Amino acid sequence: MLGVFVCQCGTNIAATVSTDRVVQAAKSMLGVVHAESIQYTCSDPGQRAIIDAIQQKGLTRVVMAGCSPRMHETTFRRAIGRAGMNPFMLEMVNIREQCSWIHSDIDEATEKAIDLVRKGVARVRRQKPLQAGSSPVTRRALVIGGGVAGIQAALDIADAGIPVTLVEKSSTIGGNMARLDKTFPSLDCSSCILTPRMVEVKQHENIKLMVNSEVEKVRGYIGNFEIDIRKKASCVIEENCTGCLICQEKCPSKAPDDFNVCAGESKAISIPFSQAVPLVASLRKEYCRLFIKGKCSVCQKVCPAGAIDYEQEDIVVTEKFGAVVVATGFGLYDWKQSYPTYGMGMYPDVINALKYERLLSASGPTGGRIERPSDGKEPRDIVFISCIGSRDESVGRPQCCSIGCMYMAKQAILTKEHIPDSQSYIFYIDVRAAGKGYDEFTRRAQTDFGAIYIRGRVGKIYPRGGKLVVMGTDTLAGDQVEIEADLVVLATGLTPAEGAGQLARRLNISTDGQGFMAEGHPKLKPVETNTGGVFLAGACQGPKDIPASVAQAGAAAAKVIGLLSQEELETSPMVAEVNQLKCAGCFKCRDVCPYGAVEAQDARDGQVAHVIASLCQGCGLCNVACPPGVISLKGYTDNQLIAEVVEVLR
Amino acid sequence: MTDYSYFPGCSLTSSAAEYDVSFRLVAAAFGIGLDELADWNCCGASPAPHHWGGELGILLPARNLHIAGAGHPSVVAPCAGCYNRLKYAQFELERNPELRERTGAALDEAVRYQTEVLNVIQLLNREIAPDDLSERVQRRLSGLRLGTYYGCVLVRPPEVVRYDDPNNPVKMEPLLNATGAATPHFPFKTECCGSYMGLAKKEIVLQASKRIIEVALECGIDALVTVCPLCHQNLDLRQSQINAAYGTDYHLPVLYFTQAIGLALGHSPAELGINTHKNADFGNWTLDVG
Amino acid sequence: MPKTEVKIIGFLCNWCSYAGADMAGTARMKQPASLRVVRLPCTGRVNPLLVLKAFREGADGVLVSGCHPGDCHYNEGNYYARRRMEVLERMLPALGIDPARFHYTWVSASEGAKWADVVNEFTRRVKQVI
Ligand SMILES: Cc1cc2nc3c(=O)[nH]c(=O)nc-3n(C[C@H](O)[C@H](O)[C@H](O)COP(=O)(O)OP(=O)(O)OC[C@H]3O[C@@H](n4cnc5c(N)ncnc54)[C@H](O)[C@@H]3O)c2cc1C
Ligand code: SF4
Ligand code: SF4
Ligand code: FES
Repeated sequence: MLGVFVCQCGTNIAATVSTDRVVQAAKSMLGVVHAESIQYTCSDPGQRAIIDAIQQKGLTRVVMAGCSPRMHETTFRRAIGRAGMNPFMLEMVNIREQCSWIHSDIDEATEKAIDLVRKGVARVRRQKPLQAGSSPVTRRALVIGGGVAGIQAALDIADAGIPVTLVEKSSTIGGNMARLDKTFPSLDCSSCILTPRMVEVKQHENIKLMVNSEVEKVRGYIGNFEIDIRKKASCVIEENCTGCLICQEKCPSKAPDDFNVCAGESKAISIPFSQAVPLVASLRKEYCRLFIKGKCSVCQKVCPAGAIDYEQEDIVVTEKFGAVVVATGFGLYDWKQSYPTYGMGMYPDVINALKYERLLSASGPTGGRIERPSDGKEPRDIVFISCIGSRDESVGRPQCCSIGCMYMAKQAILTKEHIPDSQSYIFYIDVRAAGKGYDEFTRRAQTDFGAIYIRGRVGKIYPRGGKLVVMGTDTLAGDQVEIEADLVVLATGLTPAEGAGQLARRLNISTDGQGFMAEGHPKLKPVETNTGGVFLAGACQGPKDIPASVAQAGAAAAKVIGLLSQEELETSPMVAEVNQLKCAGCFKCRDVCPYGAVEAQDARDGQVAHVIASLCQGCGLCNVACPPGVISLKGYTDNQLIAEVVEVLR
Repeated sequence: MTDYSYFPGCSLTSSAAEYDVSFRLVAAAFGIGLDELADWNCCGASPAPHHWGGELGILLPARNLHIAGAGHPSVVAPCAGCYNRLKYAQFELERNPELRERTGAALDEAVRYQTEVLNVIQLLNREIAPDDLSERVQRRLSGLRLGTYYGCVLVRPPEVVRYDDPNNPVKMEPLLNATGAATPHFPFKTECCGSYMGLAKKEIVLQASKRIIEVALECGIDALVTVCPLCHQNLDLRQSQINAAYGTDYHLPVLYFTQAIGLALGHSPAELGINTHKNADFGNWTLDVG
Repeated sequence: MPKTEVKIIGFLCNWCSYAGADMAGTARMKQPASLRVVRLPCTGRVNPLLVLKAFREGADGVLVSGCHPGDCHYNEGNYYARRRMEVLERMLPALGIDPARFHYTWVSASEGAKWADVVNEFTRRVKQVI
């Protein structure tokens, strides 16, 4: 008793596929007792029509020809479930994304749609009723990355009473926001709004904070992840350290000041900034005299708390989680090689905007006095150049960084506040300021703070008498411009954080063309990924400002809370199954299974394979590997696939 | 000994004769054979493609390619302009079968256009290893800071010439460094010198070339090195005009790439034709051998 | 009557290539109406015999596409697929099937444009040899 429903999807399908002809053809297919075309099958009246037909005609199998199963499979499974059918006795045939939308010839498209329906009918005729299984949920969440997004997500989840582990790669949480001076568009001070949140994380009874840590291995699935986290040795006993900074003061080994984007200098043992959370020193062995030359131990001698332990080793902890939030943020595009005409880093006074934030910041290495790196002089003429490694096909980076226009305006305003007789020039392609209050903000930079906006790109930067000549075009005036600058600030594009690709692979989530973590659906699943139970927050998913990062983090937290408020999760019944009577016991299936889901079971003569349904993810690798073909993936059995092939080519 | 077809072009037989002389000296020193193309003609230079329209800008260099096609596998064109025109013709012939037809009709036989076209930097890099050059140096150019000036047409348009990084070419540097000379960062290495505007609107050339010299001096450069006769003319010959127009007092020597290498090999400035340049004073740096 | 359109069977994994094909559709990237897609959880589920079956049933071409190496939803499914398809491809001539009629490739969920290119190009190729 098979029913075929052909969706018109308004005109989305009906304009290119003759749904009437598809219905006619379906009526003559084997087993079909009912076929009709419906204007919008997913709408309430549409679903009701389907349910009515099922109940009136006693349908036991349904083919839905319409949009992609990736779109509405769950919707229709629920609908036929409500009609009393087994929800898995459904086959969706994609005649929209993969048919009507990509063809223009009605005859060709209709013929193809009919082929596809025939294929669907053949397949669902061989489908068996399946029961979704269930598995218990671990009520604990992992948040990876402690920037503003990770902090927000961790706090929201923890506030709902769910235990959270927050894993941060560096020695403190805070991320890039901790480096900013003031923030657009309200110009509130970044640390004033961020540091209280950081402290909350530290004090929250439901949050376990692990710094200097990274996710190393991920096993399991939604509701039941088992994850190894490596905490790197920092040579400092976290519980003992009081953050007095004596070690940093006395340490003789200089080291790059990563937090200040190398605007200053740091030591081999250090705390990156004074509001760091946790306020604990970390030692970087690659710069430490003791580890390089074998002699020093100054920090150990001076530490009043006895917190230094050179023998400390990495530890790997394994924990169970029900859900994961990825919030690893962003890195900055390295412009030096791709923009040789900007001096390839040979001019110390050409810097990126993040370093400029540190020069603006009262807690920065210069105490908030803007000093140019070459000679420490206060600059007067400052040129900002937008879209470095953004919107630039010539370096293979077409995407917009989405925050550059805004922070350049902000930095121009702050510059004027710091140095009243300064002049800022901003080279831009066009000013993209779409957020609330954003356009007004960029205009204020011009009207109230005198920033001069020049529409065009900069071709070259070269030195002249201690200054830098910035040569560019003014495409509005149709002229060339040359500005003698004391300092040049580049708004460089955003990249995924270092190691994001590796982490994505470990979590089994996709990345987009630029390496950012890919969301489940660009519109409808903006915080999900294509792996159940793994969610995204902040700039790891794509360039974002703080408000957007925080909003996404809140959304991810809500998803996690929703997920972990369930006791048990439904699992897909499309798992492998062994016909043990015919199993030869070769265990080729066990060899290929990526999840260790196949185990040996004793049988009358020797051992046979058995699939642990809760571990099986339904990839079907075993199905192909099995020599006698007796382990089969439910819902994708050999019979079904062969029938599809045969019917579609009929 | 590898032999190459040699397309000197008009400049190297007249205003840039010293380029030809120095090139031949360097080639001889390394056993590079140069067979001058028989009956070659003008490459088309700037006027043919830009002012006379039509296909003359392709047909003229195409004939030279055709002649070269009967000779050695590669043809070298030291003048950057000639090199560019030959590459252009090759590029257009390659992608346009109808143009090939028409060119063939003009030549009375199917055009041979696939000979490899080399510029002088490419050729010398291929034939001379920096270490070999370093060993053969008679006059070490240590202390001399050379500004490598590639100009526009040697590296542009990149899809046509497909040579070096169009924004930051670096292929002259290894051999120059092998002579002991330094090649400091020079941001104007591909900036336009004003090109053939010297005839139509001299001020443009004076302004453009002035800036190149100015930046070179700012970068502490003792001499510029070029592979283009027209650039050479604008930067060297017109330096006095620049001084007159801007009240400057520039005396920056401008060498051909082959002259710089020739100097290192021990040839005298006169042998290399450096004495024909307007600015040949290297200041503190002495040209003594040894 | 001359055959205007060829018939190609596509075996696509649900997570990458099927989603990529959807994306090409969402972006309305026109493609020839040659392809009939069979959706599978993973290219690791593609039995080479299934490919041969498709040829035997009269398919003009068979296309197998999944996640890029390293990106398989099941971690390693496409590595198995790659080995299997590689061997299959080499065996085709012995079976009298022009290997140009078979193609396996990787298209991710975000590569809608690439997907359209693959379909266009493969259809062109199949038409040439058929
Ligand atoms: C120059 C500049 C100025 C800006 N000004 C403003 C402004 O004025 N207003 C505004 O709204 N926005 C501004 N922004 C944008 C703002 O910085 C971002 O929106 C915000 O930092 C994004 O937060 P996040 O938590 O997603 O990422 P991040 O801040 O990048 O935090 C990510 C965290 O994850 C950690 N991490 C990375 N990889 C791993 C891993 N594998 N394992 C564990 N931890 C990891 C990092 O160490 C870091 O702590 C500016 C950006 C720049 C570059
Ligand atoms: S591969 Fe097949 S026969 Fe071998 S153990 Fe697994 S199920 Fe049994
Ligand atoms: S389908 Fe087979 S190989 Fe895949 S997870 Fe299940 S048991 Fe393992
Ligand atoms: S899931 Fe796409 S190839 Fe395995």
